[in-house]
Amino acid sequence: MTASTLARPAARPADLKPTVRFRTERRSPLATGVLLLGAVYCLLPVVWVLVAATKNSAELFSTFTFAPSTHLWSNIQELSAYRGGLFWRWMANTALYAGVGGLLSVTVSAMAGYGLAKFQFVGKKATFNIILAGVLVPGVILAIPQYLLLAEVGLTNTYWSVLLPSVISPYGIYLARIYAAASVPDDVIEAARTDGAKEWRIFTQIATPMMIPGLVTVFLFQFVAIWNNFMLPYIMLGDDKLFPITVGLSGLLNQGATQPAMYTAVITGALLSILPLVALFLTLQRYWQVDLAAGAVKA
Amino acid sequence: MRLHTGLKVAAALAATTLLMTACSSGSDSPGTDDTAAGPVDLVFWTWAPGMDEIAAVWNESHPDIQVTVNKQDGGDAAVTKLLTAIKAGSGAPDIMQAEYQKIPTLVSSDALADLSGELSEDTASHFSDGMWEAVTLGSDAVYGVPQDSGPMELYYRADIFEQYGLAVPTTWEEYAQVAEQLHTADPTKYLGTFSAQDAGWFTGLAQQAGASWWGIDGEAWTVDIDADPTQKVAAYWGDLVEKGVIDNKPMYTPEWGAALNDGTQVAWVSAIWGPGVLEGNAPDTAGLWKMAPMPQWESGDEATGNWGGSATSVTTQSEHPAEAAQFIEWMNSSQEGVNLLVEKGSVYPADIPGQAEALAEPPAFFSNQPDFYTIAAQIAQTVQPFQYGPNVNVAYSAYNDEFGKAAEAKSASLFTDAVTAMQTATVEDLKNSGFTVKE
Amino acid sequence: MTTVAPPTDVTRAPRTAARNRRRTGRFAPYVYLAPAMTLFTLFLALPIAYAVYLSLRATKVSGLGLGAGAKTEVWAGFDNYARALSDPDFIASVVRVGLYGLLLVPTMLGLALVFALLLDARRTGAKSFSRVSIFLPYAVPAVIASLLWGFLYLPRVSPFYYVFDLIGWDAPQILSSQLVIFAIANIGLWGGVGFNMIVIYTALKAIPSELYEAARLDGASELQVAWRVKVPIVTPSLILTFLFSMIATLQVFAEPMTLRPLTNTISTTWSPLMKVYRDAFVRDDIYSAAATSVIIALATFVLSFGFLRLVQRRAFSQENS
Repeated sequence: MTASTLARPAARPADLKPTVRFRTERRSPLATGVLLLGAVYCLLPVVWVLVAATKNSAELFSTFTFAPSTHLWSNIQELSAYRGGLFWRWMANTALYAGVGGLLSVTVSAMAGYGLAKFQFVGKKATFNIILAGVLVPGVILAIPQYLLLAEVGLTNTYWSVLLPSVISPYGIYLARIYAAASVPDDVIEAARTDGAKEWRIFTQIATPMMIPGLVTVFLFQFVAIWNNFMLPYIMLGDDKLFPITVGLSGLLNQGATQPAMYTAVITGALLSILPLVALFLTLQRYWQVDLAAGAVKA
Repeated sequence: MRLHTGLKVAAALAATTLLMTACSSGSDSPGTDDTAAGPVDLVFWTWAPGMDEIAAVWNESHPDIQVTVNKQDGGDAAVTKLLTAIKAGSGAPDIMQAEYQKIPTLVSSDALADLSGELSEDTASHFSDGMWEAVTLGSDAVYGVPQDSGPMELYYRADIFEQYGLAVPTTWEEYAQVAEQLHTADPTKYLGTFSAQDAGWFTGLAQQAGASWWGIDGEAWTVDIDADPTQKVAAYWGDLVEKGVIDNKPMYTPEWGAALNDGTQVAWVSAIWGPGVLEGNAPDTAGLWKMAPMPQWESGDEATGNWGGSATSVTTQSEHPAEAAQFIEWMNSSQEGVNLLVEKGSVYPADIPGQAEALAEPPAFFSNQPDFYTIAAQIAQTVQPFQYGPNVNVAYSAYNDEFGKAAEAKSASLFTDAVTAMQTATVEDLKNSGFTVKE
Repeated sequence: MTTVAPPTDVTRAPRTAARNRRRTGRFAPYVYLAPAMTLFTLFLALPIAYAVYLSLRATKVSGLGLGAGAKTEVWAGFDNYARALSDPDFIASVVRVGLYGLLLVPTMLGLALVFALLLDARRTGAKSFSRVSIFLPYAVPAVIASLLWGFLYLPRVSPFYYVFDLIGWDAPQILSSQLVIFAIANIGLWGGVGFNMIVIYTALKAIPSELYEAARLDGASELQVAWRVKVPIVTPSLILTFLFSMIATLQVFAEPMTLRPLTNTISTTWSPLMKVYRDAFVRDDIYSAAATSVIIALATFVLSFGFLRLVQRRAFSQENS
């Protein structure tokens, strides 16, 4: 059974599946119920943060958790007023790190993935394995050596110090390789070559468009990974105007023992920072397809 | 051949990357190249609120020395970040907020500049001997100017004390009785909590009891955690927690904030900066709290410990230590600076001459206690001597782990064991690093 | 169909291009890989090498260790490794995380599989709402997720305890020493189940429908189709999600780290990476931290390759050259 699966040609995009519906069948309340239960579980903390962001600091600790209040706007104003709107600067920084970093990362990963999937060359297997091994090293410890090395070239405490290390992503290359293998048929490349097309042109004009759906997934993946990476910007940046949102919010939470944590600001900030991501995910919904296994097949 | 080309491309790419970044790095790293005419730019790392406003006042009147505040996370990692920058040889700010207990660690890593040549001669006279000792480590060098201090006091809910007919405890024995009395009258209420997360709090309690955890004996360090005063404090709190009359949950959690706000936590053994924290966590209770001196071990004693507070230091990477020293001296020991520290930063200034004017009014949250700062000033004079060592963080993380276990198990014997474990961990770490330790 | 059909009439290049092709073709893979390898070298390989170097070093202090030049870096050999491996706190953290993984990974993948099958099943309703909702937590950074759950865990601010209170039951203390591992695993589950669901769902979507239409015509129930046809087909995906989840589990850090200030029950060395963090960031001993990291990376390497070897024989029997 498994063998037959593995022999299947390539991962197909979701939309390919025939949409013939057997309308005669009844909905199963059990199946729907279980799925909805999962949805409720996943939404609960999000609803909580939504409600909590409407409370002022006294209500946060006194009223019932899911009883909304009316202070959302004043909380946002308070947060915006903090050190001359620094919060919005953090949001913009995060968009820059995750957005630009994600795009650069996709470009680099797509090239590498395509190169690994479509060419035979000396050291291919070793290259791939070395890149994959990069997954195994925890980022917590890499941050300090990365800092020490970047300090050598005077790059710490700049946008580059967070952007550049974020661009390289073993996972991204792994996924891009899968998508290249699965979505760009060898004979199309061969045909283009026979027609005399330059390699670079084949990549940019033929292969890349075919890989786009997969690359969007890689982008989302990288976007979230950079967004989630706390330690790297934490160590690299001293200037709080360069902070991404996670490091900034953590500072509001850890002001030392002599100051109360700014819970309302952090909660409002958490809510505001999640919103753009939710929007991004909703608009790019149809690209959520992560086929990890196709690569194992083709490897 | 093939490899050769590949390498060339790689090298070209790497070179481009470096070139690209070299062009952009200069503009973004302040505090470096200011030799040309124009104002000196100083970068100041701090986590205390209001420091940017204070710097703005300075910048207004000192166009030649401009201070930029970069707000940092108040956690331990801020120190690591500084030490990493020191190790790397670049990236450190000019001015750094340094908690007193971190100063020996920073000095042993050569992170703090000696300001003894840069400060006015009378600077030392502005501070109590204990404070000055904390920034000099008993040597001729000066590693910073004290900014604020945290003499410890007892905060209590006057209204609830009255409601239950409780007397304000003046000794620890009375504190234990009141704790039991209150908890029996209303089992949901506690007179306080033992927080295994706040090593600085416990250190202050031990300091009050006469402990001094580190010491210098000739050319060797001594570690004196596992000694009578600290054992006494641990046994006392362990007993209260075991009986269940005191809570065992950490401070500074949302839950603790809620308990302060709704009157479940009826008192708080804290420090002079307590009003700000109470105001932030329990805004509903304004005007209901009062402050009293710490309970004493012996009736009639007058002793307290210190919790929190920091100095402002200049790092060894600063190219303008003289200008930086000028700024921190102004901020921490001029009347204008001290007034701003109180007004904008809500700290209890370490500068003694400036206190009278700056602290004329009680904190807004304690407007019901007009003589708040008069009492506080008397208490501040009774802070016991205490010396920190070069690995305070090791002792503190051992405190978190060992007392965490003990508090969770609510076992008095584990409390005293925890003190011994802290001693062992601290001594072992010192020896491992090669410090000379005298036992 | 989302993929764009290849343009069949690629602009014709001059005839001489046919000769050039062979040459460019030979160098092409290196050109494609150059940016990745350059960045990999600069930002992963070099720092890793540097970390390995640091792991063999230590600081030595003389006397009181105060003042300039009191601290020097010296060669330490394998001392840091020996100390890490004989540290009972480290061993305890490894055992704890092993247990954590045993709890989390099967639960997460089991639920992800169930949700994916339900999304793929014909008789389930509310699909797109559920799909979006379950995937949503993936967008929440672990630090923020742990903060949110922290609020939901603390009896006084949690709605769950409020409900228990109303019913009059004694709610379990989720942050107590017996249950805290579940509290942390729950955050991992919450953040991870959606991503894994999508991975499995993608694999399910790629199954040609003829494969199970045939089974249906044979009278197999939806459940039987799921178990006998779909699950075996997505096994390779399951194996890889298992692998990646396992690696993530061994590196669990942000969740316990964020919850730690809320409770006495999470020590500073709760997970191996927390020990790394403590050594590097609290004790300022990056040398021990580097040694521990190298041990963790090697162990992860051995485990994942061992696991792949094990399953390769079964699931990927046809695979690889």
